[in-house]
Amino acid sequence: MKDRGKQLEEQAKELFDESVEKLDAATLSRLNQGRHKALEELHRPGVVKWHGPLWGAPAAGVFAVAVVAAIVMRGPASVDAIDDPVTASDFEMLLEADSLEMLEDLEFYSLLDAVDAETNGNVG
Amino acid sequence: MESYRMSAYAGVFAVSCTREQSTGAAALQRERQLNQFLLEVERRALRIAEISVRDRDEALDLVQDAMIKLARNYAERPDGEWAPLFYRILQNGVRDWHRRQKVRNRVMVWFGRGATAEDDYDVAANAPDPAGRTPEAELQTGEAMQRLEVSVHELPNRQREAFMLRMFEGLDVAGTAVAMGCSEGSVKTHYSRAVHTLRDKLGDHWQ
Repeated sequence: MKDRGKQLEEQAKELFDESVEKLDAATLSRLNQGRHKALEELHRPGVVKWHGPLWGAPAAGVFAVAVVAAIVMRGPASVDAIDDPVTASDFEMLLEADSLEMLEDLEFYSLLDAVDAETNGNVG
Repeated sequence: MESYRMSAYAGVFAVSCTREQSTGAAALQRERQLNQFLLEVERRALRIAEISVRDRDEALDLVQDAMIKLARNYAERPDGEWAPLFYRILQNGVRDWHRRQKVRNRVMVWFGRGATAEDDYDVAANAPDPAGRTPEAELQTGEAMQRLEVSVHELPNRQREAFMLRMFEGLDVAGTAVAMGCSEGSVKTHYSRAVHTLRDKLGDHWQ
């Protein structure tokens, strides 16, 4: 009789392999594109390149200052709603190129909040 | 004298051409090897990333990033080292993804966007099929795989990594240790705990 752990391992592997085999054509196509994109890297000169837009770094700086200022001036939305304070490392992460889109969202949300406040006559 | 110089130039030119040809051939061979490696690994890598983040589009992005970083930074390394390096890059990507999600949620709370019931609703966790497959594909994959995916996803991060790298990808203990950035002893411990937990969770369904 097989050990229960071994049996589970075999069954898990079998199921996983089956799910890999059943990936749909659209997904396989995207994987293919990704692989070719990766292989293109081999033909590029070996220099460290900035792949993001040129305005990315200054824009990230401006957004970060705006976010910090907004949080300092406003404080948390609800004391009960938050477990941990936002830390410096959180902002470092937000400054990564991938997070620019999220920072743009934040600006939009703060604009919405300002419009809300004005509409409800809570400003001043 | 002139003929000697001409033949010397011709010799240098020939040597130079031969060297370029051999460098070009080696580069082409390298590209083929890397292509073959990525072709072999990409589908399992996608499913592993998908179980970790429970979103196929995000998983595709993570796998593509890992492939690009491997090609950019480690193409010249011996091909035997590619698998652990690739999975190390991928696991780092998955960890960063989870951290970003956490920070995103936390910052949204600061802006008063995280406290509503609407925002608290975890779409990924509550979706009928977290992988975003069609109903037909979901049926094909079957309930057992769904249960396995959920159970593996719910494991602590390090246990999940150890289990998927050892079991699904088939890396040995040493390769898994490189991919996870920890000792071989830790890999064994994480893996053993993962199997124990999964056996407890799935045991009744899988007898």
